[in-house]
Amino acid sequence: MYILGISCYYHDSSAALLKDGKIVAAAEEERFSRKKHDTTFPDLAIKYCLESQGITIDDVDYVGFYEKPFIKFERVLSQHLECFPLSLKVFLSSTPSWINEKLRVVSKIKKSLKYKGDILFIDHHMGHAASSFLVSPFKKAAIVTVDGVGEWTTTSYGIGEGNDIRLLKDIQFPNSIGLLYSTITAYLGFTVNNSEYKVMGLAPYGNMDRKTNPWYNKLFKVVDVKDDGSYRLNMKYFKFHWADRMPSHAMCSLLGGPIRKPESEVDQRHKDIAAALQMVTEDIMTKILNHVHKETKCNNLVMAGGVALNSVYNGKILKNTPFKKIWIQPAAGDGGTVIGVVHYIYNTILGNKRTYQMTDANLGPKYNTEQIQTFLDKNNIKYTTFKNDNELVKTSAKLCHENHVIGWFQDGMEWGPRALGCRSILASPCNPKAKELLNTKVKHREKFRPFAPVVCDDDAAKYFDCDKPVPEPTDYMLMVYPVFKKWHKKIPSVTHVDGSGRLQTIRKHQNPRYYNTIKEFGKLSKIPILINTSFNIRGEPIVCTPHDAYKCMMGTGIDYLVMDKFLIKRSENPKDMWDSEKYAID
Amino acid sequence: MSFKAFKKGMHNFTTNISIIINTILLIIVYFIGVGITFIFAKMVGKHFLDMKLSKGSYWKTLNLKKKPMVSYYRQF
Ligand SMILES: [Fe+2]
Repeated sequence: MYILGISCYYHDSSAALLKDGKIVAAAEEERFSRKKHDTTFPDLAIKYCLESQGITIDDVDYVGFYEKPFIKFERVLSQHLECFPLSLKVFLSSTPSWINEKLRVVSKIKKSLKYKGDILFIDHHMGHAASSFLVSPFKKAAIVTVDGVGEWTTTSYGIGEGNDIRLLKDIQFPNSIGLLYSTITAYLGFTVNNSEYKVMGLAPYGNMDRKTNPWYNKLFKVVDVKDDGSYRLNMKYFKFHWADRMPSHAMCSLLGGPIRKPESEVDQRHKDIAAALQMVTEDIMTKILNHVHKETKCNNLVMAGGVALNSVYNGKILKNTPFKKIWIQPAAGDGGTVIGVVHYIYNTILGNKRTYQMTDANLGPKYNTEQIQTFLDKNNIKYTTFKNDNELVKTSAKLCHENHVIGWFQDGMEWGPRALGCRSILASPCNPKAKELLNTKVKHREKFRPFAPVVCDDDAAKYFDCDKPVPEPTDYMLMVYPVFKKWHKKIPSVTHVDGSGRLQTIRKHQNPRYYNTIKEFGKLSKIPILINTSFNIRGEPIVCTPHDAYKCMMGTGIDYLVMDKFLIKRSENPKDMWDSEKYAID
Repeated sequence: MSFKAFKKGMHNFTTNISIIINTILLIIVYFIGVGITFIFAKMVGKHFLDMKLSKGSYWKTLNLKKKPMVSYYRQF
């Protein structure tokens, strides 16, 4: 049985394909269309999913959609009714897309895919909940979903047991931690639904002391939080319910100045506001999780929704709450709901037993050796071929140890927003200049942005003060932990200003070449850790095809590309060099 | 002027006209449909969004669980 899940028209469009209870393919549309956060109907992602299994749409038994569009439309109409006549501009700009596409999902699916079968609509937060619980290692778990907004719900909790999910309570629009975070992100001059993680990265540069950060208490005027974690926003500080801009004049007055202009200087006030926002978010989340534990009496926790990508907070959950184990959907944002949708249909609605656990994220397109070699030969690209895996691993580790930057293209493209060793850029964390080099010459992005370390699971506890055993979400770069002080100076490029690191742990079965390269690098440097950053330039989706990877390398300061068993040196292919810097915009 | 340029010009013209007509229609719908409902709602004190701060918990009962198959075919 095949079930196809689709999400589109709001955040990142995506598709996932389930075969007999197991996810066999999943990808976001942006990787194919090369348009970051592409929201259009995911034709290309669907095409990939079907082709990966050699099937056509006629073989698909059910198509599942990630929300109930009419309920969402009811919420949008309610915003206009509540905010009349202020919402006129948004009404004029958004209504055509509701009439032309968002309310015509059935005809779009049928026409675009020539699909004649059943289409099922799953509530948005149920999709998030299922994406976290049904593919988790747990038979029973408390479920928490927190995002910007679905139909009405913005935060929910419940219990998953066996095949069943019950979402017990929720908080509804316009009250939303996700939208609070996005509003301050907009206030700080970063792009909404894209740069929230930059604010999270900026926070440690600010004052992280609740007693002395002046903005921390001020932000509690913006959000009223109860002891049980339930909360409500004071809407006089917001505009998102009726305008396309998010912070109101009252918010600007409260935070002591106008909205920061993008690309202008980030001063200490901005950093302190980012810190205050992170602390407020953490306080609310801790109260929610404590309440959920009390209500559900489960020691296992699963989470999804965009706020579950707050890796700084995630790393504190097991310390700050009574939960003992945690699992988070790697694609916790809206794109990830398709995993939940197909599993909810298969396991919950149709009642089939759960047989699949997500243990890696390599669900995207794979290219075999022959396909890659054909690409290289056809384009007259100079390359060398590794004799075997041993040579590949040794050479890659040596290049990193010599402070070269390498593009790493192996296996199936990662599912979710993080590169995890299939479409990655690798470098030595011991090189004190690596952070600046990667930020300016490769990624063309803000200097304050830290890089992430990757470490084999069996070495993690030596370098990082992480939970033990290392929780699985760490494999997907979803947890930030302190780096032990004695290593700060030895791995400066991956140690953030507050001494933390957003590490990825890698287990051998997930990607043996990657695992072995890190171990081999450890033999050379005495520290088995590499920098792992996504294979893209700023503002561009992570590379998908060999062509994307080669083009990205040739336009940046990446020195080598290790693609399957081939090694391509940038300086040996001067004909294809270009400068990607002017294209690096968010 | 070539036929191609004429065709392109006509296409742009009809697109612009349809944008103008659509905008006028939407403004009418907004002020009549949304506006009148807003006035009635104001009169009876109805609110469409939960924005009032209060003393008790803000959690709402959702109780979302497996429903009959037919409900999943619906977009609401
Ligand atoms: Fe969502």
